[in-house]
Amino acid sequence: APAVLIPGAGAAAVFNDVRIEGAQRVEPATVLSYANIARGQDVSAGELNDALQRLQNSGLFETVEILPQGGVLVIRVSEYPTINQISFEGNRRIKDDQLAQVVQSQSRRVYQPSQALQDANNIAQAYAAQGRLAARVDPRIIRRSDNRVDLVFEVREGNVTEIERIGFTGNRAFSDRRLRNVLDTKQAGILRTFIRRDTFAPERLQLDEQLLTDFYRSRGYADFRVQAVAPELARERDAFYITFNIQEGPRYRFAQVNTVSEIPGVDAGAFAAQNRVGQGDVYNPAAIDNTIRRMETVAIQQGLNFVNIDPRVTRNPQTQTLDLTFAITRGPRVFVERIDIEGNTTTLDQVIRRQFNTVEGDPFNPREIRNAAERIRALGYFSDAQVESRPGSSQEQVIVDVNVEEQPTGSLSFGASYGVSSGVGLNASLQENNFLGRGQTVGVSLSTADGDQSSSLTFIEPYFLGRDLRFGFNTYYNVTESLNSDYNTRSVGVRPSIEFPISQNGRLELRYRLSKDTLGGVEDESSALLQAEEGQRVTSALGYSYLWDTRITGLDPLTSYKLRFSQDFAGIGGDTKSVTTSALAGVESNAWREEVTLRAEFEAGAIYSFDDYSTWILDRYRNGTRIRGFEPNGIGPRDLAADNEDGLGGNYFWVVRTEAQFPVGLPEEYGISGGLFADVGSIWGLDDTVGTGGVAVDDSMSIRASVGASVFWTTPIGPLRFNFSKAIQQEDYDEEQNFDLTISTRF
Amino acid sequence: CGGGSLDSDKRNLDRFTAEEIYKRGEFELENSRKPEDAVFYFAEVERLYPYSEWAKRALIMQAYSNHRGQNYEEARAAAQRFIDTYPGDEDAAYAQYLLALSYYDQIDEVGRDQGLTFQALQSLRTVIEQYPDSEYARSSILKFDLAFDHLAGKEMEIGRYYLKRGHHAAAISRFRVVVEEFQTTTQTPEALLRLVEAYLALGLTDEAQTAGAILGYNFQSSPFYADAYSQLRGRGLAPEARGDNWLNNVYRQMIQGRWL
Amino acid sequence: CSPVYRNHGFIPAPEDLSQVVVGQTTVDELAGLIGRPSAQGLLTGSGWYYVGSRWRHFGALEPREINREVVAVSFTPGGVVSNVERFGLERGRVVPLSRRVTEGSVTEISLIGQLLGNLGNFQAADIVD
Repeated sequence: APAVLIPGAGAAAVFNDVRIEGAQRVEPATVLSYANIARGQDVSAGELNDALQRLQNSGLFETVEILPQGGVLVIRVSEYPTINQISFEGNRRIKDDQLAQVVQSQSRRVYQPSQALQDANNIAQAYAAQGRLAARVDPRIIRRSDNRVDLVFEVREGNVTEIERIGFTGNRAFSDRRLRNVLDTKQAGILRTFIRRDTFAPERLQLDEQLLTDFYRSRGYADFRVQAVAPELARERDAFYITFNIQEGPRYRFAQVNTVSEIPGVDAGAFAAQNRVGQGDVYNPAAIDNTIRRMETVAIQQGLNFVNIDPRVTRNPQTQTLDLTFAITRGPRVFVERIDIEGNTTTLDQVIRRQFNTVEGDPFNPREIRNAAERIRALGYFSDAQVESRPGSSQEQVIVDVNVEEQPTGSLSFGASYGVSSGVGLNASLQENNFLGRGQTVGVSLSTADGDQSSSLTFIEPYFLGRDLRFGFNTYYNVTESLNSDYNTRSVGVRPSIEFPISQNGRLELRYRLSKDTLGGVEDESSALLQAEEGQRVTSALGYSYLWDTRITGLDPLTSYKLRFSQDFAGIGGDTKSVTTSALAGVESNAWREEVTLRAEFEAGAIYSFDDYSTWILDRYRNGTRIRGFEPNGIGPRDLAADNEDGLGGNYFWVVRTEAQFPVGLPEEYGISGGLFADVGSIWGLDDTVGTGGVAVDDSMSIRASVGASVFWTTPIGPLRFNFSKAIQQEDYDEEQNFDLTISTRF
Repeated sequence: CGGGSLDSDKRNLDRFTAEEIYKRGEFELENSRKPEDAVFYFAEVERLYPYSEWAKRALIMQAYSNHRGQNYEEARAAAQRFIDTYPGDEDAAYAQYLLALSYYDQIDEVGRDQGLTFQALQSLRTVIEQYPDSEYARSSILKFDLAFDHLAGKEMEIGRYYLKRGHHAAAISRFRVVVEEFQTTTQTPEALLRLVEAYLALGLTDEAQTAGAILGYNFQSSPFYADAYSQLRGRGLAPEARGDNWLNNVYRQMIQGRWL
Repeated sequence: CSPVYRNHGFIPAPEDLSQVVVGQTTVDELAGLIGRPSAQGLLTGSGWYYVGSRWRHFGALEPREINREVVAVSFTPGGVVSNVERFGLERGRVVPLSRRVTEGSVTEISLIGQLLGNLGNFQAADIVD
């Protein structure tokens, strides 16, 4: 209600008392503090008016009147009622609590008619977003005692307006049907009741325009434009017809592509080598971005500052070709003033800060900051890590803001087991990947159960003495009782190791292993070879591994290569005298718009013994999960003459694993994707081949192969992988395994 | 068990007067472990009797019990609502103080996060400026200094990180921020010592002398001045500041986490 | 085993530096000519220092600063450039850092606090061997 203006009070008036009428809930002191009119001084009409305005804008009162009566100033207000309860009627599709979130008015707060109307509008908007444009919402109030009201929203939902037909005009290169499945909005088909994306939602049209533009641009149509999108509503308001009016323009190919450097002293050779845009290729913005990204990485490697790579495209429509020049120009001189890190409740500041190669005061290099953001996310301590840069205290300075959100990085579980034969067993396991926020990994698992035990202590400090030097220490005590075999083993050992970078993409790990292994409980039905090997051996081995991974510099975002070559020399003291060499080479590539991941790995290993030492079952290679589709001890030489026919493992192995991973169309948030794989390989070679009863054991290399499908499911407790496999080439005595549940390891 | 009867009471509260419900809320606050029950009663007082004197006191009690229950968001919302509807009330100072406390108490629980410390400082400053003569102003000033010291501690932590890694220029900028904007905190003597070390490492001996002089003039008795003096004279550091053999060094940095 | 080199800090290019005239350029023009300094003195009117260094990371060894250039610009009390000096690593000194640290008022997260925080949640590795 409009405030009543003060009629004709021209001269200044003096008031020595103020009387407030009608203020029930609001304190007189509150009214005075809003009006703040001084006592005893002369108050002009203007000031009275301001007081009126302030009281009006406070939003606490329905009407406000200021009436000077002689020496007394009367402020008569009528308060808005407060809301007692809010309820909704007639809403079936959207539940009450969802609507309550949309509504601003709250119970126990002041009721404002304008706010109630606004809420009704919000509810109608919520229905429109679900395609129910015909929905009607009216707010109604029921008077209660003590100037309180109940607020009721009456909803008439109406039915869904679906899109009957989507049409295109001006599309010569691609058919209507092909373009339709590019869009996010779908045409109502037979499954209309279930699919939600066929209902009309205005904001989805902008997304569709963008999808169409990207679709055409990445296929060479540089001049593509969506001229108009015309949604028409059928008369009965229950159906929509949408037509996209597009202009394709010519299809361009790259003619002349070159790289030129406009910075004195910087030659363009190294940059040109990174160019991935071929002459005659169809125009594709993604290829240009990929090349720019690679050139920026070269700039970092050469330690150049303020380098900017901008692609200059010159169109020549008559020949339908494009000339592309990558110009290396001097960017603006900007420095990183500060790196501020927030949200790290347990993680130490330096654990995040040391992921930055950029130091405060260094030139600002956006590519370097993005790489650091990747490294912070790869730590795995945060559910979310945002790195943004904002202007600093001067034009030439930028502040990098890192906002992280912590997530639990550890697990602690206790358990007790009771076996009739083995008695009560306790097992406890603690795994903390960010110990005390220092980035250290601590893993302790203890199990005192009889039978299969595995207790271990692991400690990893990734930045030993503050350097990029990873110190690892692991000690273990494992007992197995006929786990996949007919013998028992007990091994206890300690394994310290250090790992450090030795080149741009390469890292070297040096390790030492001291362990004492015991093989016992070999039944007499087992192979004579195994019975001969029963006993205890001490192994003391020095080893190294050379790791090479292209993802460290991240030159090529789509394809990455990895190599690991390791050798362990056992023989510095101890009984075992052997050199174990193993190699793993792998490639992973994203194809078909980065949705399908293809992986291929070749792995091989050989044990060479010297000083007439012969390997034993605990040295030799066994299948484990190398070739899927077979038991852990399922393949390799086997003493068929013995009743147990134990797998004896082999001194040599090779395996080739190929795999494809692809989405299965389920929405993103389920985290489920599918995969197909094929493995082929073999395990062979024994030092001593005379088996039970003098019968020679066949230790030749026979090929095993298997194919299978897998389901990847990222769960809150970790990425799981279900493998369903079928062996297609195997020896008759091999043991197959058709299902396996493992943790899907990152490439 | 006990909870059962509680729920049946909750439904027919209309029969009670505002004062009875308020008293019941206070009773709940004292005895029951969970302050949330008390919050429920205070909310009912405000809903059923929005004009009574009790409604006002119930609102401030809601903020207080939420705060005791450590759900800081609700405490802030209730305190803010009190300040909006009763700005002139003498309890507004307490509401503003409760608002500041809700940020401040989270600093202890969330040792390293800077973001919250800023908000705590801002709300403590409003208490100090708007209600200077209320009894909360004095304890707000005390808490303000502690939060301020916490912020300076963060700057020092980052400065020492760069100093240890040999990035002297970055370290100097951070320590200068501490000396210029956080002089009143307990971190200033150490900041000046670090500046002496950083300038000496860069070879700027006259700047190092200036920093040493300021440290000597203002903090004559501080152990940091003793260190700065021996650094400037080029003589060895006092034993406990020096650090001894390599192995002890590894133990200190890796196990105890004192990485300097 | 090849070392990895990294540059930190910033030294104004010689051609920008030549524009700074001793006795003429004032402190306000300086930032426009050669950019913000990496470090400054404590008192107002004290020198501006540009520090650029090149670091060598080699295997497990501690990264070493193999080259450092410092451009020191000092001013007259009136704010006019009085001297531009260039020197390198040779004037620097290896300073053993004092280990004394001011204890902060806020307690660190305790070991028990973090352990209990993990009670109950477990990871896939526990059930899938």
